[in-house]
Amino acid sequence: MANTTAEAPEKLGLLRVLGPAHVWALGVGIVLVGEYMGWNFAVGKGGAYAALIACWFAGLLYSCVAMIDSEVTSTVAAAGGQYTQAKHIIGPLMAFNVGLYLVFAYTMLEAANAITVGFLMDEVAKLTGHEGINQDPFIILSVMFLAWLNYRGVLATLTFSLVITAFAFTAVILLFLFSVILTGDSPMRHAELMTDLPYGWLGVLASMHFGLWYYLGIEGTTQAAEEVRSPARSLPFGTLAGIMTLLIAATLTWYVCVGLMPWEYLGQAGVPLFDAARLSGSTWLMVLLGIGTLFATLASANGCINDASRAWFAMGRDHYLPAWFGAVHPKYRTPYRSIIFLVPIALIFALGAPLDQVITFSILSGLLGYTFMPINVILFRKKWPLDTIKRGYEHPFHPLPAITLITLCSVTYFAVFLGYGTQLIAMISFYIVVSLWFHFWRYRFVKRADQFTMPWPRPRGY
Amino acid sequence: MQLWDILEYAAWGLSAVFGLLIVADWIKIDTTYSEDVLTSSREGELEAMTEQHKL
Amino acid sequence: MARYIPPKQSKIGQMIDVIVLLILAIGALYIPLWMGLAGSSKTPVPQTAPTWESLGQNPTMVEKWNQLGFTDPAAASDIITARFDYSFSTGSLILMVVVIVGYFVMMVRLSDKEYREVISEKFGDR
Repeated sequence: MANTTAEAPEKLGLLRVLGPAHVWALGVGIVLVGEYMGWNFAVGKGGAYAALIACWFAGLLYSCVAMIDSEVTSTVAAAGGQYTQAKHIIGPLMAFNVGLYLVFAYTMLEAANAITVGFLMDEVAKLTGHEGINQDPFIILSVMFLAWLNYRGVLATLTFSLVITAFAFTAVILLFLFSVILTGDSPMRHAELMTDLPYGWLGVLASMHFGLWYYLGIEGTTQAAEEVRSPARSLPFGTLAGIMTLLIAATLTWYVCVGLMPWEYLGQAGVPLFDAARLSGSTWLMVLLGIGTLFATLASANGCINDASRAWFAMGRDHYLPAWFGAVHPKYRTPYRSIIFLVPIALIFALGAPLDQVITFSILSGLLGYTFMPINVILFRKKWPLDTIKRGYEHPFHPLPAITLITLCSVTYFAVFLGYGTQLIAMISFYIVVSLWFHFWRYRFVKRADQFTMPWPRPRGY
Repeated sequence: MQLWDILEYAAWGLSAVFGLLIVADWIKIDTTYSEDVLTSSREGELEAMTEQHKL
Repeated sequence: MARYIPPKQSKIGQMIDVIVLLILAIGALYIPLWMGLAGSSKTPVPQTAPTWESLGQNPTMVEKWNQLGFTDPAAASDIITARFDYSFSTGSLILMVVVIVGYFVMMVRLSDKEYREVISEKFGDR
């Protein structure tokens, strides 16, 4: 190995440079793409009203997620987010699983976003009269560009996310204002377009599957914990502001779309907000929402690269994965090897797998993560009651949010089971096999006491 | 239409450029610094460290 | 409790571990696809010579379909009549519940075993 140059510090770490706005951008940026596409499959699953009920119940689920996450992460402020929480509160094997949930949920979402960029380019090319472009270069370019941005430093990456996310959110608001309030003759036809529940109440349950799309990824804010200037304050603030933004955006999106399209069309549309803008009859709204769709996908992929690489890095640093991944770039202070490693993985799925499978893989990994959270917070409060350690934020009504969360998760498992039972079983079999692999083989390379890095007292009952 | 053919080539080209930039820097860093320095990050030590090195 | 010193893993060992993990992950996604068990799709109910009335569309809906580019009811027929099949067997539902609950129970148990070791090494034996 070559000798160390003088300017390099003896110890490298990630940089604390982010503020609460970046946390908001990371959380909302990953998720907002869900309003531009994907949520509308919930309409197909159970009709327009079912999608609204799913939207609010999923909103409740994610409000619980955000509250629980805010409390735990304002106390466990390290890269890896839920992975580090699990390591300190439940144990190494759970942590390994949670780390994998995170990496797969985000890498698959990144792949889905890249696929969507290709699809959008194809649509634009068709509008300009050019049939059948090759989507691959655009898919690869979006992944490579965002990986490069992430490689070069977290501040520029998340500032980029902040700008394009704000744009995409404003576009949703403007669409609502101009198609509902500010036009003399509103194109909205709710009374005539709404129908009864086509599948009855079973359809409402089924639509919870895609109800998650309205918000999937908001929990990613915790990955920034090691790079935020004051995590105890910024993380709860950014996360809770994020979930409120999304509740507003989700409800407005639903209202505009179901007032403009028959539900049968909406339930299978590729880019519903773009369609809504098209039906509003205004060219500039159409252009605005087209750009908004592109920006939302890029912001989402960008946040996914950021989050997946932090989780992978944190696992490498603890030797849960090869230690080689635990490296930090001496100049840019990013987990550069993890970022590089995940690029080809994302591309394998973006170029080779069908979109709905990639999405389901992502949703299921996310769902397993949400199931872990109530277990996590109950044990957290049990092992370290409120008076034993200082928390940046304490969530109210414990254990009500935890119970609500686990109930809603069970409903969602049932919803996924109704459509994708085989994938659900395949997915969990995968996690069982890797768990055994970790427990009986990989864990031998992990130092025992060194994993526990928080300056906390001994947990109660151990 | 010619435009989209050009755009496709441009996308391929830019992808290659970003890829090369990353790989070149990766090789440079891995040969310049020792493995011990690169993997010296530890969880929970960040606070103390940022105090040490004003950045 | 004695401090546990982990063995140092060779470069090749590290690579093998990553490859094992990747094969498992890609397998989990692709095996259901290869076996043709993946996904649920909607099945349309074909009508002979559908009209907007026979498809149950009111004048506003028809207007919106037209704006969306569906001027012919036959073109929209498959989209309108397609429905999911939500029937399932109790057996497979029970299997799913057992697998999910079993997975989380196993997870918490094995984790707790490892966790006790971590705590006693970190804070000393009681």
